[in-house]
Amino acid sequence: MNEWERIEYKPMPVRNLLVEMKNLSELMLDLAYSAALFNSSELAEDVLELERRVDTLAYLLKMNTMVAARNPRDAEALIGVSIVASSANKISDAAGDIAHIVIRKIGIHPLVREAFEKVEENLSRAEVAPNSVLVDKTLEELEFAARIGIDIIAIRRGKEWIINPKNHELLLKGDVLIARGTPAGVDELKNLAEGISRELEG
Amino acid sequence: MIEEHFQRIVDSLVALKDTSELMLDLAYSSLLLNSRELAQEVHELEDYVDDLHTEFELLVLSSGFKQEESKDFLGLIRLGVVTEQIADAADDIAHIVLRELEPHPVLRIAIEEADETVTHAQVSEGSPLKDKTLREARIADETGMWILAIRRGKRCIRPKPDTKIEVGDILIASGYAEGEDDFKRLVSGREESEESIPLF
Repeated sequence: MNEWERIEYKPMPVRNLLVEMKNLSELMLDLAYSAALFNSSELAEDVLELERRVDTLAYLLKMNTMVAARNPRDAEALIGVSIVASSANKISDAAGDIAHIVIRKIGIHPLVREAFEKVEENLSRAEVAPNSVLVDKTLEELEFAARIGIDIIAIRRGKEWIINPKNHELLLKGDVLIARGTPAGVDELKNLAEGISRELEG
Repeated sequence: MIEEHFQRIVDSLVALKDTSELMLDLAYSSLLLNSRELAQEVHELEDYVDDLHTEFELLVLSSGFKQEESKDFLGLIRLGVVTEQIADAADDIAHIVLRELEPHPVLRIAIEEADETVTHAQVSEGSPLKDKTLREARIADETGMWILAIRRGKRCIRPKPDTKIEVGDILIASGYAEGEDDFKRLVSGREESEESIPLF
């Protein structure tokens, strides 16, 4: 299962590498906590896959910052970039550790998991019912962030996962949405997905 | 009795998770704003997390679990370790500011281009938030932005539901970029914010 990818230097903008590392590490943390809350090994496997991606990015970023530093001043200016990248990598590793709890079936005490789910208002999941108004709409049309203050961080479609879905992504019946947002927004999303609420305000 | 013990474990875990994530948000903001004070806040929260973590581990270990339950409790211990790692990562970021390394322009771009943004606004006389508690203010429901910290004069207050919002407070919030304008309008009580106020 562990394939070691050979990493070769590629000239890439440090900025793009850093943006991707930061975004992925934060997404991974949300996914990892969701994996633990919902005891989902699929979600945990995805976290581990993203962890490998972040590792690769970390190597590339380090090589590119080394090449970019030509004098002591450059080195002083770039050390901060390198530290932030290392921090993002640490966070990605931490998310990976949560995923391992799930995959190795170490488990989290069920009573704690239940209680944790109740207070952890920011994360939630909702399944799109066949009669939901969300069916066959794109995320762009739905404008969840602006209308109800939530962000879809992942969509599970059968065995497939769409991580950090793009605006043009179409929602289908049976999709499981993993969302993060305000308590009211999360409730509203559940109602919309389950077909209880038929209207999207705003 | 047992339920009470579990509730304490959960409360402690939630505090650890929230604080470590707050630290990360504040650390990125300190870099974005090149703010020593925010960075210092992160550094102090790191000590706080250390205490919380010890307390959490002691609570878990004193649960009086049976041998067959040990795996469930190991999972809890591991979750605690993860929050500590996140707090460390945030502290590392804050150190860039505390050691007075000039933040590279790339960092600013990376933080601002990320999905979430950090912003701040000052509570004015005319703001509907004046004298409300954070619970009553429902800022997250209204704007989709979460309050990270409240700056009141020289103090930086960790937001709690009972914290009362006062005129002159600077609310520092993070969330999706779409909510930023709504947030500024709500806090300042004005339609258009004239110019951006300095954080310090």
